[in-house]
Amino acid sequence: MKQKRQKDFKSGRAYRRKTAALSFFGLLVLISLLELIPLEKEFSEKENRPLAARPKLTLENVADGSFMEQYEEFRSDQFLGRNLWVSVKNRVDLIIGKRESNGVFKGKDGYLLEAVAAADQAKLEENLNAMGEFKARYEKIPVYLALAPNAANILADKLPRFAVTEDQSGMFRSIWQELGEGITWVDLSKTLSSHKKEEIYYRTDSHWTTLGAYYASQQLVEAMGLDGTKTPKWEKYAVTNIFTGDLSLRSGYQTGYQESIYIYAAENEKEMPKIVVDYGEGKISTLYDRMKLKERDAYELFLGGSHEMVNIRTTADTTDRLLLVKDSYANCLIPFLVPYFREIIAVDPEYYEGNLNDIMKEKKISSVLFLYNGNTFVQDQKISGVLQDE
Amino acid sequence: MVAGLFDSVVFLFTFLPVVLFLYYLMPGQLKNVLLLLVSLVFYAWGEPAAVFVLAGMILFNYACGLHIAGVLKNRRRARAGLMFCVIVDLGVLGFFLFGRTVFGGLNMILPVHIPFQGFALPMGMSFYTLQLLSYIIDVYRGKVKAQKNPADLALYAAMFIKMPGGPVALYSEMEKQLRARQISPGKVGEGVMYFVRGLSKKVLFADNIGLLFAEVMAMDAGQRSVLSAWLGCAAFAFKIYYNLSGYTDMALGLGKMTGFELPGNFDYPYLAGSTTEFWYKWHMSLGGWFREYVYHPLGGGDAEELKQVRNILLIWLMAGLAHGLSGNYVVWGLYCGILMVAEKLFLWRMLDRMPGFLGRIYSIVMVMIGWVFFFSPGAGGGFAYLGNMFGIGAAGLADDRGMYLLVTNLGLLIIMAVGLLPLVHKGYESIMDRGGRGLALVNCVIYGVMFGLCVVYIVC
Repeated sequence: MKQKRQKDFKSGRAYRRKTAALSFFGLLVLISLLELIPLEKEFSEKENRPLAARPKLTLENVADGSFMEQYEEFRSDQFLGRNLWVSVKNRVDLIIGKRESNGVFKGKDGYLLEAVAAADQAKLEENLNAMGEFKARYEKIPVYLALAPNAANILADKLPRFAVTEDQSGMFRSIWQELGEGITWVDLSKTLSSHKKEEIYYRTDSHWTTLGAYYASQQLVEAMGLDGTKTPKWEKYAVTNIFTGDLSLRSGYQTGYQESIYIYAAENEKEMPKIVVDYGEGKISTLYDRMKLKERDAYELFLGGSHEMVNIRTTADTTDRLLLVKDSYANCLIPFLVPYFREIIAVDPEYYEGNLNDIMKEKKISSVLFLYNGNTFVQDQKISGVLQDE
Repeated sequence: MVAGLFDSVVFLFTFLPVVLFLYYLMPGQLKNVLLLLVSLVFYAWGEPAAVFVLAGMILFNYACGLHIAGVLKNRRRARAGLMFCVIVDLGVLGFFLFGRTVFGGLNMILPVHIPFQGFALPMGMSFYTLQLLSYIIDVYRGKVKAQKNPADLALYAAMFIKMPGGPVALYSEMEKQLRARQISPGKVGEGVMYFVRGLSKKVLFADNIGLLFAEVMAMDAGQRSVLSAWLGCAAFAFKIYYNLSGYTDMALGLGKMTGFELPGNFDYPYLAGSTTEFWYKWHMSLGGWFREYVYHPLGGGDAEELKQVRNILLIWLMAGLAHGLSGNYVVWGLYCGILMVAEKLFLWRMLDRMPGFLGRIYSIVMVMIGWVFFFSPGAGGGFAYLGNMFGIGAAGLADDRGMYLLVTNLGLLIIMAVGLLPLVHKGYESIMDRGGRGLALVNCVIYGVMFGLCVVYIVC
């Protein structure tokens, strides 16, 4: 009896081992063969990053080992069914308790929040210096700096329990202090804080909502001394109710939350000046590109996404011209500035390769506004470059 | 995901299937040649330049072995041959181990600038040197015959299976297996399960808890609360164990798939009742090597007490310095040595009288304190970190940052802590042994899911 059980044990174990070997080799061969299918993609929309391409084979990069590393990267980036695996990994990470993915927090109430970025101190100082010198060059022209705080700062109570992120308010304070003479600091943090109970940030996107931009624009109108009588009575309407933003893509967190994007227009059309918008590829008469609503990043509705330079001419009754140096946060705020300027030149240094001094010389700019969100501003690598005196 | 390691797409889905397919197809005599060739390819894939150093070292030791065996009767000449070989082996190893630090230091002291900066230590170099030394010393001792076939000696030293993380197999243990070994479906299946377990230890656990460790290390000493400091230290303790034992399991598994029986390396060290026992159960093949070729020749346990103390401290200092010429490694080595001496001289009496679990807690805490010096950059950094763990210069007892790290890693930490117990694996095995074919299917699914998850974490 005992012997028989012993034998059962043994044969059970042997059977288990054999099946394990068979299934492992089966899996190995199957995946290896499937991996041979050449389906190469250049860009992962899911992870929002370029994927590694097949490296070139040369004697040098084999000798120093860089070929092998690049080849491994290529194989892993182009791994079959990668998108699915990214979701699986996200799911598993979430189950074991992680609340952060790719720099995005999975916060409370369905909020995804981009972690506050630490400053690139050296570059930040260079940018601030360049801005100070720029201001000194155009003494009579007022220059403003407005930094939009990020959601993780204003909505810190929506962060996961105990989560801490960089102190953005502290960063803003020290930027304010280091700001060159003559540049006016527009404090958007206070304004947005006082409206934090409202929907001023998207839950799945890194940007502020049009409502957030609206409150910021009120603050700007006041700080820049713009003509308040030109302000129309704004009326909002939703252009989509199924928006899922870039944070969801970047983190892989699918909260299932779909939100609305609003556009603000003057209640009485006559109160708004007419506009001609030039992206550098023909003139149109709107600041919105509704085709983008159907694309992956629907926030590009505003201004049609990022362009190196956008020129907006209006029929507003004024001679004021604004040079707006900005990132994508400004895209949904620009419509609120239209009533006060004859011309707005919006430049995104990230893509712009010219020099702002040329624009200053060619156009009769009457004020300059730097409008960024905190995260991009403290990590920006380009501002000092476009400001440099040639 | 570094080239030349097991947890890479290229290894798993190109190298491994091709190699195993050819290996099983190959007739007996050619199996060794094939393994040697692919081992060199594997090594060159990770260390394209250093493969020549490896080849040179093998050929040199091969020649020395033949020479020593030829003059074995003449003890004086044999001894001279051995000394020459050992000095060259250790010299080359030392050059790669310390070259960078020494030349860096010289450039700081000397008025002239030396353009040569030394090389980084190539993968597996310490281990293959120790293994070649075990061969050459055993030839001298007459314990083994000199290997006539250079390919077999090369396979012993360069085998890809034990290249990334050991074990350090003594030549005397491998000699027979190099000549002939058995491959059976059961053994291959056992190897498969070993390999998948090892891969999971490394990819799912060591790498993931490594993120927690990295996060704590990225904080300045003043930013760490007591909680964060202990979390970071625990994360490292888990990481190094799961990493090394994972690599060992992968090696043992690949060994079984190709018919080799390699020595085990870890025997649940974190359950030890003293640090002495801990080090007996930690990286056993390396410890065995040191006992066999350093501690025993110096007199071993038979030497008088004072000598024993000296030897223990000496070996630990060497073990520390073998990780790099840096103050923290010296402190780590001396700390471990002094603890072991203290346990040998008087602590054992106290440990003996204490209930078992207290001894285990003592051992874990002492080992963790040692790890602080192992992972800190420089001795000063180590003391600062240790201070943090006991509240000195720390940002309070527990802050939000620490709590966040704890909450988001708690699941992983608990799973990894449970995994330290023998109960998990033994319990699983005994349940599986009870059942028949149905459970075998369940077993396949479990290992399949583990392997699948590993692939997911490797590619993402």
